[in-house]
Amino acid sequence: MRELALHILDIAQNSIAAAASLVTISIDEQPGRDLLRIEVADNGRGIPPEELAQITDPFFTSRTTRDVGLGLPLFAQAAERAEGKFEVKSVPGRGTEVTATLRYSHIDRAPLGDLTGTLLGIIVPNPELDLIYTHYYKQKSFLLGTGEIKSTLGRIAISHPEVVSWLRDFIQAGLDDLYGGE
Amino acid sequence: MNVTKLVETLGLDVVSGPFEREIAGVYVGDLLSNVMAKAERDNLWITIQGHQNVVAVASLTEVAAVIVVEDFELEEVAIERAQERQVNILRTPLTAYELVKKLINLGI
Ligand SMILES: Nc1ncnc2c1ncn2[C@@H]1O[C@H](COP(=O)(O)OP(=O)(O)O)[C@@H](O)[C@H]1O
Ligand SMILES: [Mg+2]
Repeated sequence: MRELALHILDIAQNSIAAAASLVTISIDEQPGRDLLRIEVADNGRGIPPEELAQITDPFFTSRTTRDVGLGLPLFAQAAERAEGKFEVKSVPGRGTEVTATLRYSHIDRAPLGDLTGTLLGIIVPNPELDLIYTHYYKQKSFLLGTGEIKSTLGRIAISHPEVVSWLRDFIQAGLDDLYGGE
Repeated sequence: MNVTKLVETLGLDVVSGPFEREIAGVYVGDLLSNVMAKAERDNLWITIQGHQNVVAVASLTEVAAVIVVEDFELEEVAIERAQERQVNILRTPLTAYELVKKLINLGI
């Protein structure tokens, strides 16, 4: 994928398919330590230990419509390409944690890309889902929790167009501030 | 043209195959998600990647053959998977550009 944000969207879609009610996305950008860490964790159904070993095998999937599953293998490959590490931990019935640690300055590292689009792409079609997003850049951080936003909204849906438009501005401003002045 | 004829004509290495397939059109690319969207059934797909994910994408898009250029290495597991799935994997020391020129001359 041309952007890491598209991998994040795809990995979060696995969480949603696994019936998660909470997805936590954490991004840690530390150019000083030459590290970019991306973690997507959920409280979905988890992956049985015997399947966990095959998870980056592109010919493993629980889909019934086709016999290849490329979401995790492509993300793993994007990490490898940037001299990084890729890890999936899972406890059946508890949830799954997917972590990629990439070398920040590696010439083949894909850019993070459109994170706002990814977050809205997760939030809007899944109004029931709680999403916690934490993004560190050097010492600064941006935090978004949809649980809190939803309780403030009361009966107004988080997928309401005006709310979505506010969210887009809020996320964009948060990310701009994170990289502020750079 | 079919894959066997192409292998003979261009002297390509056969890494997996040759399985009988007719060729129609060519797609060049290394970004797998993009190849998934753009490559068409029966295309020749030219890439420098030798990862086993290439085999999965080739099988999904039903390309006639993958040609790995610049003699890039193929992972052992990729070769096994390609043979199991009857995916043609060919290889050449040529660059993508040099190979494409030859394909154009062959009328592909
Ligand atoms: N977060 C998750 N929770 C539970 N199972 C998962 C999760 N992520 C992936 N899986 C399992 O791993 C398989 C492969 O995932 P992936 O590589 O994204 O391909 P696909 O989603 O196309 O099947 C899925 O079909 C699913 O069975
Ligand atoms: Mg998936």
